[in-house]
Amino acid sequence: MNFVKRAWLNLRFKKGRTALLILVTSAIMLFVLAGLLIKSAATTATQQAKDSVGATLTLSANREAAFKKMRSSTSTTSGKPTMPKLTTSPVKLSTAKKIAALSGVSSYSATVSTSANAKGFDAIETSSSSSGFGGKMPGGSTSSGDITVSGVTSTASNSNFSNDTYTITSGRGLKASDADTKNVVIETNLAKSNSLKVGSTIKLKATTGSKSTYTLKVVGIYKAKSSATASMGPGQSDPANTVFTGTTFANTLKGSKYAGTADSVTFNVSTPSKVASVKAQAKKLINTSKYSINSDDASYQMVKASMKSVTGFANKIVWLVVIAGTIILALIVILMIRERRYEIGVLLSLGESRMKIIAQFFVELLVVLVIGVGVAGVGGKFVGDKLAQQIVSTQTTTTSTTNQMGGMPGGSGNAQGGAPSGQMGNRANAMATQKQKQTKLSTQVTPQAILLLIAVGLVIIFIAILVGAGGILRLQPKKVLIG
Amino acid sequence: MLTTEKLTYWYTSADQSLFKDVDLEFSAGHSYAIVGQSGSGKTTMVSLLAGLDKPRGGKIKFNGADIAGIGLSNYRKNDVAIVFQAYNLFTYMSALENLMSAMAITESKHKGDKAFAKQMLAKLGLSEEQMTKNVQKLSGGQQQRVAIARTMVCDAPLVVADEPTGNLDEENTDAVINLFQEIARDLGKCVIIVTHEPDVANRCDAVIRLAHKQFTWEKTIAEN
Ligand SMILES: Nc1ncnc2c1ncn2[C@@H]1O[C@H](COP(=O)(O)OP(=O)(O)OP(=O)(O)O)[C@@H](O)[C@H]1O
Ligand SMILES: [Mg+2]
Repeated sequence: MNFVKRAWLNLRFKKGRTALLILVTSAIMLFVLAGLLIKSAATTATQQAKDSVGATLTLSANREAAFKKMRSSTSTTSGKPTMPKLTTSPVKLSTAKKIAALSGVSSYSATVSTSANAKGFDAIETSSSSSGFGGKMPGGSTSSGDITVSGVTSTASNSNFSNDTYTITSGRGLKASDADTKNVVIETNLAKSNSLKVGSTIKLKATTGSKSTYTLKVVGIYKAKSSATASMGPGQSDPANTVFTGTTFANTLKGSKYAGTADSVTFNVSTPSKVASVKAQAKKLINTSKYSINSDDASYQMVKASMKSVTGFANKIVWLVVIAGTIILALIVILMIRERRYEIGVLLSLGESRMKIIAQFFVELLVVLVIGVGVAGVGGKFVGDKLAQQIVSTQTTTTSTTNQMGGMPGGSGNAQGGAPSGQMGNRANAMATQKQKQTKLSTQVTPQAILLLIAVGLVIIFIAILVGAGGILRLQPKKVLIG
Repeated sequence: MLTTEKLTYWYTSADQSLFKDVDLEFSAGHSYAIVGQSGSGKTTMVSLLAGLDKPRGGKIKFNGADIAGIGLSNYRKNDVAIVFQAYNLFTYMSALENLMSAMAITESKHKGDKAFAKQMLAKLGLSEEQMTKNVQKLSGGQQQRVAIARTMVCDAPLVVADEPTGNLDEENTDAVINLFQEIARDLGKCVIIVTHEPDVANRCDAVIRLAHKQFTWEKTIAEN
């Protein structure tokens, strides 16, 4: 281990050169560490995003298959001028329960959409809705009533409520225990204009079948965000006319054949990364020709993609610095070896092996590296945070532009599932919150990061020595000593 | 101890050889001087004897074994100690550290023995303070003595020196020559010195002159 002693003596004697080497190595290590820190911060952020961003599976009728069937039936049944009929099967709640039992599914929520006519109270009129008849369609001529009835498993699990587009302002929301009751939650404007309060009763008349009238008890009043109201298109009824009931009642309004069914069922998947596997398992439980199951992990995918680009950027920094650092250090080592030809010659004349001479230079660089890593460890968090801030701010601008474009296809996919309107607005809301989460990319100097840094540093000096060692291996002691 | 057999060397081409088919013999316990005109090839000869270069033809045998077979690096490490005009010390060390390093590299039997190294340096006239300060702060004569002390702390039985007194004044030259004679007589080593100075040559047990590509004995051991 004599070469270690020599390395130490040399570092100590050539203080200026050692200081310079430490400076260069520290700078290289600082940037490598910053890159590594950003990378791990991005990974952590992605992990957190996975936990915070929900992903859902939606089970609904397979409209695509139904359309296909309709088209093929018209073409094959030649001659008969039958009207093509689109038959979609409502989702069975018993099937939904089976899927809900799968591991990875945290909760589920069924939606039954239908309409009824207000009886004994008035629906809200909007300027855009047909005037004269007070928004009411002539009874019997159409199956749609003036009140939109949304049968839900619980209001809390409905996306409008979970995204705070709708909030309960008085009374309570619907719970799972309200499933078979005739409790109803109505909008605050509808309540005001009809002087309805929690505890009041309203009457709804079915538009199909027996056209019976049902009495419901108001248990809660909700308020729709103004933005949701404003986004309504012409021809659609005012969102204030949407009432929430249990799924059983909504099915009763639709007709007896709809008992125990839903338009769509949304399953919340606790771990977004498992969406695909849960979906595959769920597919085995359903008749895919009748039903389709769609996953919605768009927000998760978006966060993942944006973090991936941050990680990619951090990776590039690491590689760039490693390559540049290796080149710089290799050049320094080559120069150092040239400068120390004489010393190498003396060593060789004493019969020192070339490997031990290389080992001496390696040890010298190793000592420099350890100090450099120490310096980087102190300054790494500072540089990492500053760099991360810079990267995230550029990343956020790029993601926000892609959001607007990416939002559209996702929205149309949802409409197929029969999701209530306003979902698009909610999605945009969710994205806005995502962006805020991204900006908090905080780096942390962990022992693992330092170990990784040492490993990277070792690789750098190893390559540098390997390149520089050529000079040592070729050096003829005679040329050095007698010249 | 050391013999050359048909030793031949040239730099550029075979017909411009510095010397050809040289047969010499050096034995332990004696000092030899190699003299000759500048550019005749003395340094070239000792670099071959020191195992710093390979001959173009012929062999160098150490105790009967071809040094090429021993391996030049091994030969330098175990069998030969070299002293040059330019001292060839580690410039970033003290005299003492130089000796300690050389002892470690050559795996001397005194390896790690600081007291022994100090004793040798003291014997060569270096004070405690001079031993521990950087060698570059020593005079040329002092540095050359450190280089000689290095040959004494290492076990190599053969010492090869190329103009070891070239940079020294008369007084230092005398001291250095005395040391080499001690090394030969008292330590029983074989000392080969290349020199320009007749005084130095005369103090050696034998003198060999290189002229016209031939080595001729000007003085033999037997003549003493
Ligand atoms: N590397 C080399 N390549 C070519 N020729 C060389 C080389 N080294 C030395 N020579 C030549 O070989 C000859 C012998 O050189 P060498 O150094 O052995 O002489 P020397 O006897 O030691 O001289 P001096 O007394 O001046 O030290 C000289 O003519 C020199 O120019
Ligand atoms: Mg010479």
